[in-house]
Amino acid sequence: MKKLYILLALLSPTYLFAAASNELEGDFKLGPAIILIVILALFILVGFLFQAKDTNDFFAAGRKISKVGSGMAIASNWMSAASFLGMAALMYGTGYNGLAYVIGWTGGYVLLLILMAGQIRKYGKYTAADFIGDRFYSKSLRITGAIVAILISIAYCVGQFGGIGLLFQWILGIPYGWSVVIGGSVVLTYTLISGMLGVTKNMQIQYVIIIISFIIPLFLLTYKFDYFWLLPQIGYGSVVTDIVNGIPAPEIAGMVNSFGNDFAITPSPEYAMPWDPSSGQSYFQFMAIAFSLMVGTAGLPHVIQRFYVVPKVSDARWSVVWGLFFICILYWSAPVYSALGTILSASPEVGKLSKDAIVVYTAQLGNINPLIVGLLAAGGVSAAFSTVSGLLVAGASAFSHDLYVKVINPDCSPKKQLMMARLATILMAIIVSLLALLKLALIGQLVAVAFSLAGCTIFPLFLLGIWWSGSNKQGAIWGLIVGGSISLIAITYFVSLKIGFSLPYEEFVNYWLGAWYFAWIGAPLAIFTNIIVSKFTEETPIEIKKFLVENVHS
Amino acid sequence: MENQETVNEKSYDISFFKPTTELARSNRNLAIGLLLVWMISIFGFHIWLRIIETPTPEKAYTQYEMVWDNIKLGQATVSEKQIYIKSALSVLGKVTLDKESRIFLNTSVNKITEELVPENEKSDFKNKIAAFKLKKFGEDQYQELKKDLGSSAAKYIGVEDYSLEAKLIPLELVAAESYNMDYDNIALVMAKYLIHNQSYLTDFTFLGFPFHYFYTAVFLLVLFVGLCLYYCIAIQKIINRLGIEE
Repeated sequence: MKKLYILLALLSPTYLFAAASNELEGDFKLGPAIILIVILALFILVGFLFQAKDTNDFFAAGRKISKVGSGMAIASNWMSAASFLGMAALMYGTGYNGLAYVIGWTGGYVLLLILMAGQIRKYGKYTAADFIGDRFYSKSLRITGAIVAILISIAYCVGQFGGIGLLFQWILGIPYGWSVVIGGSVVLTYTLISGMLGVTKNMQIQYVIIIISFIIPLFLLTYKFDYFWLLPQIGYGSVVTDIVNGIPAPEIAGMVNSFGNDFAITPSPEYAMPWDPSSGQSYFQFMAIAFSLMVGTAGLPHVIQRFYVVPKVSDARWSVVWGLFFICILYWSAPVYSALGTILSASPEVGKLSKDAIVVYTAQLGNINPLIVGLLAAGGVSAAFSTVSGLLVAGASAFSHDLYVKVINPDCSPKKQLMMARLATILMAIIVSLLALLKLALIGQLVAVAFSLAGCTIFPLFLLGIWWSGSNKQGAIWGLIVGGSISLIAITYFVSLKIGFSLPYEEFVNYWLGAWYFAWIGAPLAIFTNIIVSKFTEETPIEIKKFLVENVHS
Repeated sequence: MENQETVNEKSYDISFFKPTTELARSNRNLAIGLLLVWMISIFGFHIWLRIIETPTPEKAYTQYEMVWDNIKLGQATVSEKQIYIKSALSVLGKVTLDKESRIFLNTSVNKITEELVPENEKSDFKNKIAAFKLKKFGEDQYQELKKDLGSSAAKYIGVEDYSLEAKLIPLELVAAESYNMDYDNIALVMAKYLIHNQSYLTDFTFLGFPFHYFYTAVFLLVLFVGLCLYYCIAIQKIINRLGIEE
């Protein structure tokens, strides 16, 4: 009986939610920690049950995944810390301009489907570098493609590790540095155990957990603050209008945040008006971000790689439709957090909040049941985990399959190849953890760097490689040089600015080649260069053209 | 013989714009149609939004503009000072306000509120600010002192007790660290936060949303899913029509 009392006491909301209601950070939170551990244990268990047995399993899940399952895996793989935490953060910070990320990260799927998905599956390769090496009949391009894929995976992972760090910090009540190390170690262990077959199965479970944990607080928040709660994704329209017009004083008693501040705000049209001067973002930046994210979406190796795991070509296409629909459920919901968070944090007493944690803070400020806030945080960790595991597998595949087997040691055994994949995973996790500790930008912005990089390098190669047989090796090399150089310039200027090192024309370059949207010019220039050089150099070999016509377009 | 080889080689050329297979041709036509819808709906809409927008001031900015010259010249009447403080508070209540801009504004609010306090009440008012300044959020008497200071200030700045302004002003009075007014920067901050790009697309509401916001945050995503769905159905029909087995 005594044990039961102790257990009940431990499970009481006050103890579970150790932080006081007006402290958003607080100490160790037992409830959220238990939820997180249970969820992670479930992932590991599924990873064990569906563990990769050979290289075919590790890289492409044995090509046994259905179109709805693959769609869920695409969504789960896609719904990263950037979607779960970062998008609301960007809208909270820059208002309407944050929507450029919403349309960029969804509109790109239209490009991907119409121009690539089916054709990539028909081409029938394992990795992005496989395709590049084969289509452009060049070992050096295969190596470069693999290196670029690894760099994209690393850039993408940095933001995810930042998100994992932020949530582990919130749950465990430990400094950010330690939480990155602990969170990084857990996700690494999980990826190493499961491989892609486990990852794909897990991604389906992760999707369900992510979406449920994300949506439940929205119903509660919209109900509590008297908005149309049956469909919060539409009901929050009135929240946006209320922010624009201002809420002078609460009309219903008890409409307060966890600090006791009224549910009120001064008129704030800057939240919803396009490219508002107060956001510090211009019309050009809005358009450039949307475009860059779209072409980046269609060039991300770990997204393209998902089309290899479906059994049929039509499944590759339908998996995009399902994937996009599942993604949109979250993307329709994220702005609700940002809108409610804006009102709930309007009082200066709340202080400046970490934008990347606004989703969790909104639920906290809205006085949602602590266990549900804990579930929300655990969902955020799941979102980051599902993406990181996919990215680490994509990066490891690029290293072991495209570099090690195809270039360094073609005679190696499948066992050794699997070992190399796992070694590469560990190495990448270490590099990413170190970069995440630097906290270079918001999660969403860090992830957008990976998109621009993919848009400048991989996207042009896939687009022209599939749709124009005239694109040849020399064109691909020069296109990659141009796209890669623009990426290098943009990233160098961004990092220099962050570390306080001054470079010439700094303001000009950082504006026109911003780190999260340099693909607006990089992608078109890389495509243009590829076309021009291909026109004036030796033609593509007949066997490649024949393969394209007979296997991809017929 | 060589000519024959060249002809064969040409028959294997494939290009998006000059497709050589029936599937590629049908796919191209479908893709162009859908991509046009996609481009116009995203970029066309935002170009249009940009073309029709006009810088539109908030009511607080219009009122601020009416009194600003007299405030700068030190000739403002009591009601003009009250109008200025209300305008400044409407910026100070904005979530996105940066730290530096906040300092410019709360300093001015501090100075002008001080000017509005009658001489015989000045010392009492300053004591209230000092007492509240010593308290941190969550401490005993914090709420009482805040409410007391807010009520007093509300009387001077001409707002109702319990109003949002009355709840904001105590926090700004204790945050201000001087009475110096930087007129140039205040003007910049007010313009930056109180003038917005608006048009009939932003002013018209739909399902509770400003229309442009609904279009981008909700409708475009529905459209993307719809375009993908249409493509999958249409391409499958083409494949079936051509008798291709994938």
